[in-house]
Amino acid sequence: MRIALINGSPKVSNSASGVLLTDLKSFLITSSKTEIKEINLHNTVVSKEALEDLKNTDVWIFACPLYVDGIPAHLLSCLVQLEETDWQDRQVQIYGVVNCGFYEGIQAEFALNILQNWCTKTGFTWGGGIGVGGGGALQQMPTMKNGHGPKAPVEKALGTMTDKIIQRETQKNNYVSIAFPRFLYKMAAQMGWRQEIKANGGKTKELGNQLE
Amino acid sequence: MKLIITDIEHFNIPVEGDYKVIRPQGNIHHCIGCFGCWVKTPGKCVIHDGYEGTGIDMGKCTELILISQCCYGSVSPFVKTVQDRAISYIHPDFVLRKGEMHHKRRYKNIITISAYFYGTHITEREKETARNIIDANADNYDGLVKNVCFYNTIKELENMIL
Ligand SMILES: Cc1cc2nc3c(=O)[nH]c(=O)nc-3n(C[C@H](O)[C@H](O)[C@H](O)COP(=O)(O)O)c2cc1C
Repeated sequence: MRIALINGSPKVSNSASGVLLTDLKSFLITSSKTEIKEINLHNTVVSKEALEDLKNTDVWIFACPLYVDGIPAHLLSCLVQLEETDWQDRQVQIYGVVNCGFYEGIQAEFALNILQNWCTKTGFTWGGGIGVGGGGALQQMPTMKNGHGPKAPVEKALGTMTDKIIQRETQKNNYVSIAFPRFLYKMAAQMGWRQEIKANGGKTKELGNQLE
Repeated sequence: MKLIITDIEHFNIPVEGDYKVIRPQGNIHHCIGCFGCWVKTPGKCVIHDGYEGTGIDMGKCTELILISQCCYGSVSPFVKTVQDRAISYIHPDFVLRKGEMHHKRRYKNIITISAYFYGTHITEREKETARNIIDANADNYDGLVKNVCFYNTIKELENMIL
Protein backbone atom coordinates (compact mmCIF):
# COMPACT_ATOMS: atom_id res chain seq x y z
CA MET A 1 0.00 0.00 0.00
CA ARG A 2 1.36 3.42 -0.94
CA ILE A 3 0.62 6.08 1.62
CA ALA A 4 1.27 9.83 1.56
CA LEU A 5 1.83 11.46 4.94
CA ILE A 6 1.09 15.12 4.36
CA ASN A 7 2.29 17.75 6.80
CA GLY A 8 -0.08 20.71 6.40
CA SER A 9 1.38 22.93 9.11
CA PRO A 10 2.96 26.14 7.82
CA LYS A 11 5.84 25.44 10.21
CA VAL A 12 8.83 23.93 8.47
CA SER A 13 10.08 22.35 11.69
CA ASN A 14 8.89 21.54 15.21
CA SER A 15 5.24 21.23 14.33
CA ALA A 16 2.76 19.19 16.34
CA SER A 17 1.53 17.87 12.98
CA GLY A 18 5.04 16.52 12.39
CA VAL A 19 5.02 14.74 15.77
CA LEU A 20 1.66 13.15 14.96
CA LEU A 21 2.85 12.01 11.53
CA THR A 22 6.06 10.54 12.99
CA ASP A 23 3.98 8.54 15.47
CA LEU A 24 1.57 7.45 12.77
CA LYS A 25 4.45 6.41 10.53
CA SER A 26 5.89 4.17 13.22
CA PHE A 27 2.50 2.44 13.57
CA LEU A 28 2.10 2.04 9.80
CA ILE A 29 5.58 0.62 9.33
CA THR A 30 5.16 -2.03 12.01
CA SER A 31 1.65 -3.00 10.94
CA SER A 32 2.02 -3.86 7.29
CA LYS A 33 3.92 -3.61 4.06
CA THR A 34 3.62 0.03 3.28
CA GLU A 35 5.50 2.40 1.07
CA ILE A 36 5.44 5.83 2.63
CA LYS A 37 5.96 9.20 0.98
CA GLU A 38 6.39 12.20 3.23
CA ILE A 39 4.99 15.35 1.71
CA ASN A 40 5.18 18.89 3.04
CA LEU A 41 2.50 21.43 2.30
CA HIS A 42 3.97 24.37 4.21
CA ASN A 43 3.11 26.85 1.46
CA THR A 44 0.17 27.99 -0.64
CA VAL A 45 1.23 25.97 -3.68
CA VAL A 46 1.64 22.21 -4.10
CA SER A 47 5.03 21.68 -5.75
CA LYS A 48 5.53 19.53 -8.86
CA GLU A 49 7.42 16.94 -6.82
CA ALA A 50 4.63 16.78 -4.26
CA LEU A 51 2.05 16.33 -7.04
CA GLU A 52 4.16 13.55 -8.52
CA ASP A 53 4.37 11.79 -5.16
CA LEU A 54 0.64 12.19 -4.65
CA LYS A 55 -0.03 10.65 -8.06
CA ASN A 56 1.84 7.55 -6.91
CA THR A 57 -0.03 6.95 -3.68
CA ASP A 58 -3.46 5.50 -2.84
CA VAL A 59 -3.99 6.84 0.66
CA TRP A 60 -3.41 10.44 1.70
CA ILE A 61 -3.24 11.39 5.35
CA PHE A 62 -3.39 15.10 6.08
CA ALA A 63 -2.07 16.38 9.41
CA CYS A 64 -2.58 20.05 10.11
CA PRO A 65 -3.24 22.52 12.90
CA LEU A 66 -6.63 24.07 13.58
CA TYR A 67 -6.54 27.74 12.54
CA VAL A 68 -9.48 30.01 13.43
CA ASP A 69 -11.81 27.01 13.63
CA GLY A 70 -10.83 25.75 10.18
CA ILE A 71 -7.99 24.64 7.95
CA PRO A 72 -4.94 26.98 7.73
CA ALA A 73 -5.31 29.32 4.76
CA HIS A 74 -2.23 28.07 2.91
CA LEU A 75 -3.50 24.48 3.09
CA LEU A 76 -6.90 25.61 1.86
CA SER A 77 -5.14 27.04 -1.23
CA CYS A 78 -3.44 23.68 -1.72
CA LEU A 79 -6.79 21.89 -1.44
CA VAL A 80 -8.24 24.16 -4.13
CA GLN A 81 -5.25 23.39 -6.37
CA LEU A 82 -5.62 19.65 -5.74
CA GLU A 83 -9.34 19.86 -6.57
CA GLU A 84 -8.47 21.49 -9.88
CA THR A 85 -5.85 18.85 -10.73
CA ASP A 86 -6.86 16.05 -13.09
CA TRP A 87 -6.50 12.81 -11.12
CA GLN A 88 -7.93 10.71 -13.96
CA ASP A 89 -10.53 9.00 -11.80
CA ARG A 90 -7.95 7.75 -9.32
CA GLN A 91 -9.47 6.25 -6.20
CA VAL A 92 -7.80 7.90 -3.25
CA GLN A 93 -8.72 7.37 0.38
CA ILE A 94 -8.31 10.46 2.58
CA TYR A 95 -7.75 10.64 6.34
CA GLY A 96 -7.21 13.73 8.50
CA VAL A 97 -5.48 14.46 11.79
CA VAL A 98 -6.20 17.99 12.99
CA ASN A 99 -4.52 19.16 16.19
CA CYS A 100 -5.57 22.23 18.09
CA GLY A 101 -4.11 24.49 20.72
CA PHE A 102 -7.21 24.27 22.87
CA TYR A 103 -7.59 21.29 25.15
CA GLU A 104 -10.68 19.73 23.60
CA GLY A 105 -10.11 17.70 20.45
CA ILE A 106 -13.76 18.24 19.46
CA GLN A 107 -12.89 21.83 18.53
CA ALA A 108 -11.27 20.36 15.39
CA GLU A 109 -14.58 18.89 14.23
CA PHE A 110 -15.36 21.51 11.58
CA ALA A 111 -11.86 21.42 10.11
CA LEU A 112 -12.32 17.67 9.60
CA ASN A 113 -15.71 18.47 8.03
CA ILE A 114 -13.93 20.77 5.56
CA LEU A 115 -11.66 17.89 4.52
CA GLN A 116 -14.70 15.64 4.17
CA ASN A 117 -16.53 18.23 2.05
CA TRP A 118 -13.41 18.58 -0.09
CA CYS A 119 -13.52 14.80 -0.68
CA THR A 120 -17.07 15.16 -2.01
CA LYS A 121 -15.89 17.83 -4.46
CA THR A 122 -12.81 15.88 -5.62
CA GLY A 123 -14.49 12.47 -5.75
CA PHE A 124 -12.04 11.03 -3.23
CA THR A 125 -13.20 8.79 -0.38
CA TRP A 126 -13.27 10.20 3.11
CA GLY A 127 -11.79 7.73 5.59
CA GLY A 128 -12.40 9.76 8.75
CA GLY A 129 -10.09 11.51 11.11
CA ILE A 130 -8.88 12.45 14.55
CA GLY A 131 -9.23 15.77 16.37
CA VAL A 132 -6.37 16.14 18.85
CA GLY A 133 -6.69 18.61 21.72
CA GLY A 134 -3.71 19.99 23.62
CA GLY A 135 -1.58 20.15 20.48
CA GLY A 136 0.62 22.85 21.99
CA ALA A 137 2.19 20.27 24.31
CA LEU A 138 2.82 17.45 21.84
CA GLN A 139 6.36 18.57 21.01
CA GLN A 140 7.41 18.28 24.63
CA MET A 141 5.81 14.91 25.30
CA PRO A 142 7.82 11.71 25.14
CA THR A 143 6.51 8.62 23.40
CA MET A 144 6.24 5.86 25.99
CA LYS A 145 5.59 2.19 25.47
CA ASN A 146 2.52 0.13 26.45
CA GLY A 147 -0.04 2.89 26.55
CA HIS A 148 1.60 5.07 29.16
CA GLY A 149 2.44 8.74 29.31
CA PRO A 150 0.57 11.95 28.53
CA LYS A 151 0.40 11.17 24.82
CA ALA A 152 -1.21 7.75 25.36
CA PRO A 153 -4.78 8.68 24.29
CA VAL A 154 -3.41 10.27 21.12
CA GLU A 155 -1.29 7.22 20.33
CA LYS A 156 -4.26 4.94 20.95
CA ALA A 157 -6.34 6.94 18.46
CA LEU A 158 -3.50 6.84 15.91
CA GLY A 159 -3.21 3.06 16.44
CA THR A 160 -6.93 2.56 15.84
CA MET A 161 -6.76 4.71 12.73
CA THR A 162 -3.75 2.71 11.48
CA ASP A 163 -5.88 -0.46 11.52
CA LYS A 164 -8.55 1.33 9.47
CA ILE A 165 -5.99 2.70 7.01
CA ILE A 166 -4.46 -0.71 6.43
CA GLN A 167 -7.92 -2.12 5.64
CA ARG A 168 -8.81 1.04 3.69
CA GLU A 169 -11.86 1.32 5.90
CA THR A 170 -13.66 4.41 7.11
CA GLN A 171 -13.79 5.40 10.75
CA LYS A 172 -15.99 7.84 12.58
CA ASN A 173 -14.09 10.94 13.59
CA ASN A 174 -12.40 10.38 16.92
CA TYR A 175 -11.77 13.28 19.31
CA VAL A 176 -9.07 13.01 21.94
CA SER A 177 -7.07 15.14 24.34
CA ILE A 178 -3.69 14.63 25.93
CA ALA A 179 -3.64 12.82 29.29
CA PHE A 180 -2.60 15.92 31.17
CA PRO A 181 -4.96 18.03 33.30
CA ARG A 182 -6.53 20.96 31.53
CA PHE A 183 -5.70 23.50 34.25
CA LEU A 184 -2.03 22.50 34.16
CA TYR A 185 -1.97 22.69 30.37
CA LYS A 186 -3.45 26.20 30.62
CA MET A 187 -0.90 27.23 33.26
CA ALA A 188 2.03 25.82 31.30
CA ALA A 189 0.92 27.59 28.10
CA GLN A 190 0.51 30.92 29.90
CA MET A 191 3.92 30.59 31.54
CA GLY A 192 5.27 29.84 28.09
CA TRP A 193 3.89 33.12 26.64
CA ARG A 194 5.47 35.05 29.53
CA GLN A 195 8.85 33.43 29.00
CA GLU A 196 8.69 34.05 25.27
CA ILE A 197 7.81 37.74 25.48
CA LYS A 198 10.62 38.28 27.98
CA ALA A 199 13.05 36.38 25.75
CA ASN A 200 12.03 38.80 22.98
CA GLY A 201 12.93 41.76 25.18
CA GLY A 202 9.34 42.65 26.12
CA LYS A 203 7.44 42.82 29.40
CA THR A 204 4.76 40.41 30.58
CA LYS A 205 2.08 43.12 30.74
CA GLU A 206 2.66 43.90 27.05
CA LEU A 207 0.97 40.58 26.24
CA GLY A 208 -2.29 42.52 26.67
CA ASN A 209 -1.31 45.62 24.64
CA GLN A 210 -4.26 47.36 23.03
CA LEU A 211 -3.10 49.01 19.83
CA GLU A 212 -4.79 52.03 18.23
CA MET B 1 -17.17 50.72 12.39
CA LYS B 2 -18.07 47.89 10.00
CA LEU B 3 -15.04 45.81 9.03
CA ILE B 4 -15.54 44.02 5.75
CA ILE B 5 -13.17 41.24 4.72
CA THR B 6 -13.80 40.04 1.19
CA ASP B 7 -12.10 38.18 -1.63
CA ILE B 8 -13.94 40.35 -4.20
CA GLU B 9 -11.24 42.53 -5.75
CA HIS B 10 -13.67 45.01 -7.32
CA PHE B 11 -15.87 45.36 -4.30
CA ASN B 12 -18.82 47.67 -5.00
CA ILE B 13 -21.58 46.64 -2.64
CA PRO B 14 -23.06 49.74 -0.95
CA VAL B 15 -22.37 50.07 2.77
CA GLU B 16 -24.19 52.29 5.27
CA GLY B 17 -22.16 54.23 7.84
CA ASP B 18 -18.51 54.07 8.77
CA TYR B 19 -16.62 51.11 7.30
CA LYS B 20 -13.30 49.64 6.18
CA VAL B 21 -12.81 47.03 3.46
CA ILE B 22 -9.96 44.52 3.41
CA ARG B 23 -9.72 42.96 -0.04
CA PRO B 24 -7.03 41.44 -2.32
CA GLN B 25 -4.48 44.15 -3.15
CA GLY B 26 -0.96 43.01 -3.95
CA ASN B 27 0.37 39.83 -2.42
CA ILE B 28 -0.74 38.58 0.94
CA HIS B 29 1.45 36.21 2.90
CA HIS B 30 -0.10 33.36 4.85
CA CYS B 31 0.34 33.00 8.62
CA ILE B 32 3.48 31.02 9.46
CA GLY B 33 2.34 30.04 12.95
CA CYS B 34 5.08 31.96 14.79
CA PHE B 35 2.82 33.66 17.38
CA GLY B 36 4.93 36.82 16.92
CA CYS B 37 1.63 38.75 17.04
CA TRP B 38 1.35 37.64 20.69
CA VAL B 39 4.94 37.56 21.93
CA LYS B 40 7.01 39.87 19.70
CA THR B 41 4.74 42.74 18.66
CA PRO B 42 1.62 42.01 20.74
CA GLY B 43 -1.48 43.05 18.81
CA LYS B 44 0.07 43.13 15.35
CA CYS B 45 1.32 40.51 12.88
CA VAL B 46 5.08 40.50 12.25
CA ILE B 47 4.78 40.05 8.47
CA HIS B 48 4.83 43.46 6.79
CA ASP B 49 2.77 43.18 3.61
CA GLY B 50 -0.05 45.62 4.34
CA TYR B 51 -2.21 43.01 6.08
CA GLU B 52 -0.51 43.08 9.48
CA GLY B 53 -3.03 45.36 11.21
CA THR B 54 -6.31 43.45 10.88
CA GLY B 55 -6.22 42.48 14.56
CA ILE B 56 -6.19 46.21 15.42
CA ASP B 57 -9.07 46.93 13.01
CA MET B 58 -11.07 44.14 14.62
CA GLY B 59 -10.54 45.83 17.99
CA LYS B 60 -12.30 48.93 16.62
CA CYS B 61 -15.22 47.35 14.83
CA THR B 62 -18.74 46.57 15.94
CA GLU B 63 -19.58 44.42 12.92
CA LEU B 64 -17.35 41.98 11.10
CA ILE B 65 -18.71 41.22 7.64
CA LEU B 66 -17.15 38.31 5.74
CA ILE B 67 -17.99 38.17 2.04
CA SER B 68 -16.39 35.14 0.53
CA GLN B 69 -16.55 32.31 -1.89
CA CYS B 70 -17.50 29.17 0.00
CA CYS B 71 -14.69 26.60 -0.18
CA TYR B 72 -15.78 23.25 1.25
CA GLY B 73 -17.69 25.08 4.01
CA SER B 74 -14.82 27.42 4.76
CA VAL B 75 -14.24 30.99 3.67
CA SER B 76 -11.89 31.28 0.69
CA PRO B 77 -8.08 31.17 0.98
CA PHE B 78 -7.81 34.99 0.84
CA VAL B 79 -10.40 35.69 3.54
CA LYS B 80 -8.98 32.85 5.64
CA THR B 81 -5.46 34.26 5.29
CA VAL B 82 -6.68 37.61 6.62
CA GLN B 83 -8.43 35.85 9.52
CA ASP B 84 -5.40 33.68 10.33
CA ARG B 85 -3.20 36.78 10.32
CA ALA B 86 -5.52 38.53 12.79
CA ILE B 87 -5.49 36.25 15.85
CA SER B 88 -3.85 39.12 17.74
CA TYR B 89 -7.40 40.44 18.12
CA ILE B 90 -7.52 38.06 21.08
CA HIS B 91 -5.13 37.66 24.01
CA PRO B 92 -2.90 34.57 24.22
CA ASP B 93 -4.11 33.59 27.71
CA PHE B 94 -6.88 31.03 28.00
CA VAL B 95 -10.34 31.23 29.57
CA LEU B 96 -13.15 28.69 29.84
CA ARG B 97 -16.39 29.59 28.06
CA LYS B 98 -19.35 27.22 27.75
CA GLY B 99 -17.13 24.53 29.32
CA GLU B 100 -14.51 24.82 26.58
CA MET B 101 -11.13 26.45 26.34
CA HIS B 102 -10.95 29.75 24.45
CA HIS B 103 -8.78 32.86 24.58
CA LYS B 104 -9.14 35.90 26.77
CA ARG B 105 -10.23 39.18 25.24
CA ARG B 106 -7.64 41.80 24.32
CA TYR B 107 -10.20 44.51 23.46
CA LYS B 108 -13.58 45.40 24.97
CA ASN B 109 -15.64 45.65 21.77
CA ILE B 110 -18.24 43.00 21.05
CA ILE B 111 -18.19 41.93 17.42
CA THR B 112 -21.31 40.85 15.58
CA ILE B 113 -20.40 38.64 12.63
CA SER B 114 -22.27 38.42 9.33
CA ALA B 115 -21.11 36.05 6.62
CA TYR B 116 -22.20 36.18 2.98
CA PHE B 117 -20.98 33.14 1.09
CA TYR B 118 -21.19 32.82 -2.67
CA GLY B 119 -20.58 29.92 -5.04
CA THR B 120 -22.41 27.92 -7.69
CA HIS B 121 -22.59 24.47 -6.14
CA ILE B 122 -22.59 24.95 -2.40
CA THR B 123 -23.85 21.68 -0.90
CA GLU B 124 -26.07 21.41 2.18
CA ARG B 125 -23.16 19.90 4.12
CA GLU B 126 -20.94 22.83 3.13
CA LYS B 127 -23.62 25.24 4.34
CA GLU B 128 -23.84 23.39 7.63
CA THR B 129 -20.05 23.47 8.05
CA ALA B 130 -19.98 27.17 7.21
CA ARG B 131 -22.68 27.99 9.79
CA ASN B 132 -20.88 25.91 12.41
CA ILE B 133 -17.58 27.64 11.73
CA ILE B 134 -19.07 31.14 11.96
CA ASP B 135 -20.68 30.16 15.28
CA ALA B 136 -17.31 28.85 16.48
CA ASN B 137 -15.62 32.08 15.32
CA ALA B 138 -18.12 34.08 17.36
CA ASP B 139 -17.33 31.94 20.43
CA ASN B 140 -13.63 32.50 19.90
CA TYR B 141 -13.96 36.25 19.36
CA ASP B 142 -16.40 36.31 22.30
CA GLY B 143 -18.89 37.94 19.94
CA LEU B 144 -22.23 37.18 18.29
CA VAL B 145 -23.54 35.95 14.95
CA LYS B 146 -25.94 38.23 13.05
CA ASN B 147 -26.52 36.16 9.94
CA VAL B 148 -25.03 33.63 7.55
CA CYS B 149 -26.35 33.66 3.98
CA PHE B 150 -25.56 31.87 0.74
CA TYR B 151 -25.72 33.19 -2.82
CA ASN B 152 -25.00 31.68 -6.21
CA THR B 153 -23.08 34.62 -7.65
CA ILE B 154 -21.38 37.85 -6.63
CA LYS B 155 -23.97 39.70 -8.79
CA GLU B 156 -26.78 38.66 -6.43
CA LEU B 157 -24.85 40.21 -3.55
CA GLU B 158 -24.71 43.57 -5.27
CA ASN B 159 -28.44 44.07 -4.70
CA MET B 160 -28.10 44.51 -0.98
CA ILE B 161 -26.92 47.25 1.33
CA LEU B 162 -24.51 46.24 4.04
C1 LIG C 1 -3.42 31.68 13.18
C2 LIG C 1 -3.69 30.64 14.22
C3 LIG C 1 -5.00 30.30 14.51
C4 LIG C 1 -5.26 29.33 15.47
N1 LIG C 1 -6.56 29.02 15.74
C5 LIG C 1 -6.84 28.05 16.65
C6 LIG C 1 -8.20 27.71 16.93
O1 LIG C 1 -9.15 28.27 16.36
N2 LIG C 1 -8.42 26.76 17.87
C7 LIG C 1 -7.40 26.12 18.52
O2 LIG C 1 -7.67 25.24 19.35
N3 LIG C 1 -6.10 26.41 18.25
C8 LIG C 1 -5.81 27.36 17.34
N4 LIG C 1 -4.50 27.67 17.05
C9 LIG C 1 -3.43 26.92 17.73
C10 LIG C 1 -2.84 25.80 16.85
O3 LIG C 1 -3.84 24.94 16.38
C11 LIG C 1 -1.82 25.01 17.69
O4 LIG C 1 -0.78 25.85 18.06
C12 LIG C 1 -1.29 23.77 16.99
O5 LIG C 1 -0.72 22.90 17.96
C13 LIG C 1 -0.24 24.06 15.93
O6 LIG C 1 0.05 22.88 15.23
P1 LIG C 1 1.33 22.71 14.29
O7 LIG C 1 2.53 22.79 15.22
O8 LIG C 1 1.19 21.37 13.68
O9 LIG C 1 1.33 23.81 13.30
C14 LIG C 1 -4.19 28.66 16.14
C15 LIG C 1 -2.88 29.03 15.84
C16 LIG C 1 -2.61 30.00 14.90
C17 LIG C 1 -1.18 30.37 14.60
